[in-house]
Amino acid sequence: MEDMKQDLIGIVGADNVLDDPVITEAYAKDESFVLSIKPKMVVRPGGEAEVQALVAWANKTATPLVPVSSGVPHFYGDTVPSVPGAVIVDLSRMTRILRVDRRNRMVVVEPGVTYAQLQPELAKEGMRITPPLYPRANKSVVGSLLERQPTLITRYNYSLPEPLRNCGVIWGSGQRFFTGDAGWGPADLEAQWASGGRQVDPKGPAQTDFYRLLTGAEGSYGIVTWASVKCELLAEPRKLLFVTAPKLDDLVDLTYRVVRIRVADEIFVVNGAYLAALVGKDAADVAALSLSLPAWTLVMGVGGRALFPEDRMAVAEKDIADAVAASGKQLLQAIPGLATSRVEAAVFGEYDGAATADGAAHWKLRAKGGVADILFHTPLDKAAGYLATMQDAAVAHKYPVGDIGVYLQPQHQGVAYHMEFSLPYAKDDKAEAAKARALYSAASKKLIDDGAYFSRPYGEWADPVYNRDAAGRDALRTVKKIVDPNNVLNPSKLCF
Amino acid sequence: MALSNEAYEALQAIVGERNVTRDPAILDGYALQMLVELVRPNCGHYMPRAGAIVMPGSTEEVQAIVKAANKYNFGVKPHGTGWYHWASPMYDPGTRYGDEKDTVQLDMRRMNSIEIDEKNGIAIVGPYVIHAQLHAEAIKRGWSCNIIGAGSSCSVVAAACAYSGIGAGTMWMGGNAENVLGMEWVTPSGEIVRNGSLGSGDGWFCGEGPGPSVRGIMRGTLGSRGGMGVYTKCAVRLAHWPGSTDWNVQGTVPAYRLPLDKTFRVYTVAVPTWDAWTDLYYKIYDNEIGYTLHRQYNLAGAELAPAFWLMYTDPTKQLSDLPAMLDEPGMAELTEEMRISLQIVMAGRSEADAELQDKVLDKILEEVGGWKVEKYCTQDMAEFTNMYMNRLGHKEINYVYAGNYIGSWMQAGTPDWVKGYIPVAAAGYERDYRNGLLVQAGGDSMMGTVGAYPGGGIMGLEQFVSYDGADHESTAAAWYHMDDAVEDAKTINYPPGKEALYIEMRYTDEQAFDKWSKSKQPWTYVFQREIRKRYDPNYVGDRQYNWIPEEWERGEKHASTPIMPGPGRPQPAPEGYPTI
Ligand SMILES: Cc1cc2nc3c(=O)[nH]c(=O)nc-3n(C[C@H](O)[C@H](O)[C@H](O)COP(=O)(O)OP(=O)(O)OC[C@H]3O[C@@H](n4cnc5c(N)ncnc54)[C@H](O)[C@@H]3O)c2cc1C
Repeated sequence: MEDMKQDLIGIVGADNVLDDPVITEAYAKDESFVLSIKPKMVVRPGGEAEVQALVAWANKTATPLVPVSSGVPHFYGDTVPSVPGAVIVDLSRMTRILRVDRRNRMVVVEPGVTYAQLQPELAKEGMRITPPLYPRANKSVVGSLLERQPTLITRYNYSLPEPLRNCGVIWGSGQRFFTGDAGWGPADLEAQWASGGRQVDPKGPAQTDFYRLLTGAEGSYGIVTWASVKCELLAEPRKLLFVTAPKLDDLVDLTYRVVRIRVADEIFVVNGAYLAALVGKDAADVAALSLSLPAWTLVMGVGGRALFPEDRMAVAEKDIADAVAASGKQLLQAIPGLATSRVEAAVFGEYDGAATADGAAHWKLRAKGGVADILFHTPLDKAAGYLATMQDAAVAHKYPVGDIGVYLQPQHQGVAYHMEFSLPYAKDDKAEAAKARALYSAASKKLIDDGAYFSRPYGEWADPVYNRDAAGRDALRTVKKIVDPNNVLNPSKLCF
Repeated sequence: MALSNEAYEALQAIVGERNVTRDPAILDGYALQMLVELVRPNCGHYMPRAGAIVMPGSTEEVQAIVKAANKYNFGVKPHGTGWYHWASPMYDPGTRYGDEKDTVQLDMRRMNSIEIDEKNGIAIVGPYVIHAQLHAEAIKRGWSCNIIGAGSSCSVVAAACAYSGIGAGTMWMGGNAENVLGMEWVTPSGEIVRNGSLGSGDGWFCGEGPGPSVRGIMRGTLGSRGGMGVYTKCAVRLAHWPGSTDWNVQGTVPAYRLPLDKTFRVYTVAVPTWDAWTDLYYKIYDNEIGYTLHRQYNLAGAELAPAFWLMYTDPTKQLSDLPAMLDEPGMAELTEEMRISLQIVMAGRSEADAELQDKVLDKILEEVGGWKVEKYCTQDMAEFTNMYMNRLGHKEINYVYAGNYIGSWMQAGTPDWVKGYIPVAAAGYERDYRNGLLVQAGGDSMMGTVGAYPGGGIMGLEQFVSYDGADHESTAAAWYHMDDAVEDAKTINYPPGKEALYIEMRYTDEQAFDKWSKSKQPWTYVFQREIRKRYDPNYVGDRQYNWIPEEWERGEKHASTPIMPGPGRPQPAPEGYPTI
């Protein structure tokens, strides 16, 4: 242990090797149900060279490394070691914004850069990156993109991993490499910039989309030390529009239509419970809103950018109004019983500034202190069926159906929808937590069996999901053997 | 090793006697390929002859063929519509790394099913479905699809899984690379790998995951060009078609017209300088206007294109009228007017949106000092452009002047970066055509995408160089034009363009390994070697899936043979030789 510590101090400096049990304990668990396993130490590298040295050291000493970029709370168990003896590589000190390029609308960031840090910087240039729904302030941009967290503006989502473009990576083998168009040039960003390279094209190099291998990998293939990200123009003016309905089915055709004609900026569907969690100030507020909000709401952002922004917003609003009218629904400027500013804060706010540094006040935890999320992909026309599956499971487990939050986010221009069931529970109430956990497991299993596609199979989903696709699993293992032959990066997390 | 009778009988047993042949005339029919005289020994017109041609009818048959290839030691090379020599067997004796073996050409024409999930905007296609078929089916249902710039008669699967996938619609609709969802891949080892939701048995709608995306090893910047197994089916995302679902096509072949719907606007716009041209691109990106966009007409060359398209669209005229048309009053002015121009089709989701896009374009043109080229924006020309850009059915134009063309440059990057090579590309072309052996179409014969990636931001321009493949001297001029373009790029510190990819076809495997092992980040090829070890241990594919063996990685081995000798440089043009 002392040797290990000395080695690590040699790499990242004494201040950045943490073995205080309070700290290691904090990395031993998260908000999910994964088994708690304590890491031996936490190291906080300050740059790429230190990351590379850590990976070399891990190979030499056969030490598992678990990369972490965001601050707490974590929800899916991906940053909790799956094996004992691990060292957490906390990348939150790597906070440099390496390049902002307005003309090409690109930004290059290190993995510790958060939404709270980045969006204001981009705003100075009239840009932003499409965020996921209300990220916490300390959420790493690179982390979110590597997780393939769904983003809010599907018409910019030309490929599911968008807006992620190129990555600099230290593979588990210690090999340093640039993905995408950066992979054709020298592995030196400054040199690439000097010769006009802007790390724009995510494809390749050669016959491999390396960046796609890094997404969804939960840090088990390589540690990303920088990423280039496509920006969009900040919308000004912008506003939200709503359509509410008693049943999810009532919104399906309209959502198809609006997504298809690409008129909206942000667009998603939530039920009352989810919306209440998103905007509620505290537990009581969430509970009250849950009862009063409409059962289902289609939320659409419209905005103006570039030339004639007002006209642009007006035309978009009119086109949406026409689509809504054609579907026999009513377009609302506000959700009954809810100040629009509160929804705007969550949707346009770029990040959840209200969350406290320890993560306790994360909006997902405000209702009951604990939450279990079930997330998968589906075509929109199957969503209502999966909802019924979830509700049936809740009834069977005596979990209050009204507490289930539902979020549907169109992705990849609407061919696939991220569907999320949020199951809040009282974390400190052992019986309730056990009930939520049993429901979570049973419903997940049933959904997987029914064909819900768990594209990000965290925790206990990993085995059943990877087992559905033996050839795919084998391909992932093949890649693992190439990029991390000693299995030092986040072992036992996926299918290796 | 020549294909054995035993192997041939095995192929017959798999696909039935009707669907396999080794009739030399048919084999040579497949081997005769466009563009190959620039990469073949003695400027020959044939790629290496296949050992047999096989027409599989199903994924299972493809799998059985590949397994037989491992057993009987032959190579396998699939063929979409065979538009390119990449689709042919590539090895002459002594050029393949490892065992000598014959290659069997798979012609996928029996696998041509189309299924459209109308609700979700997804099409599932077999490898012989061409873009024109899918597009026609999609339009009827209010959907459209990205069509590659090569033309709508190319295979969707080839473009989505095996080759590139970029076209005039890519900026708005996405390229085939981004749009491909599920892919069904028969590996050279005879396994079937499917990606995303398809692999899990959950449908064709999501290409990523579970976990890391297996899709990452299935295609990258390009696909594996038939060098690493066979794609037997794929799903692509369709894009909304805001126009009429019943195309009222007018006019006569080849210049059909598609009347404009109320929500459509079609223009040829031009700018005074290349600086203004880059600004125009950036402003188009920021303003998110345009449905299909391409610098299309300039493929006929800046000096000839304005007259060429007026000739093409006039049923009373033919190519031989072009010289006279160039002398017509006003043509010189028109040529100057549209020297730096591009075509844009804007499709509004509503009339108000179309009007707004119009207003935005006008304002952009005002800001960059550009204009609409009136003669090319008449209703008649707009209808022609509308048809051309939306269906891309005119790929024969690439070859119209002299029977053959070669694309040089085409490095993709930001518009600012692409601007950096335009003057050098133009000057190099002028230098190389001065002796009259290449078609003198104007130094700027550059055409290309406005967006090589959806949403814009990346583009590229390809220099269209026409030559006569039946004429040895002209072929020689084109041969060295490619070599010279690589050298020209070096003078401005640019990486080589498309020509370098062609030139690689002159190499043996070992010469290609030399090149790749010296690249800036050769680990790419090491990674791909390891993938090959797993999925193609017997090297049934070819090096179009690029890799380097261990000896090259360690720097222990280099190619011993010289690069294919050229035909000899033609005489340079005498000083002061007039152009055009
Ligand atoms: C003049 C010209 C212009 C071009 N312009 C463009 C352009 O603008 N945009 C663009 O994207 N491309 C362009 N290309 C390249 C073009 O994409 C490919 O040639 C295209 O895929 C042709 O389609 P095809 O059906 O004829 O494919 P083929 O030529 O038959 O095949 C193309 C490659 O894919 C492989 N292949 C085909 N089918 C399969 C399969 N089922 N499984 C595995 N591998 C397979 C072949 O072996 C071959 O290597 C151009 C080519 C030419 C000659």
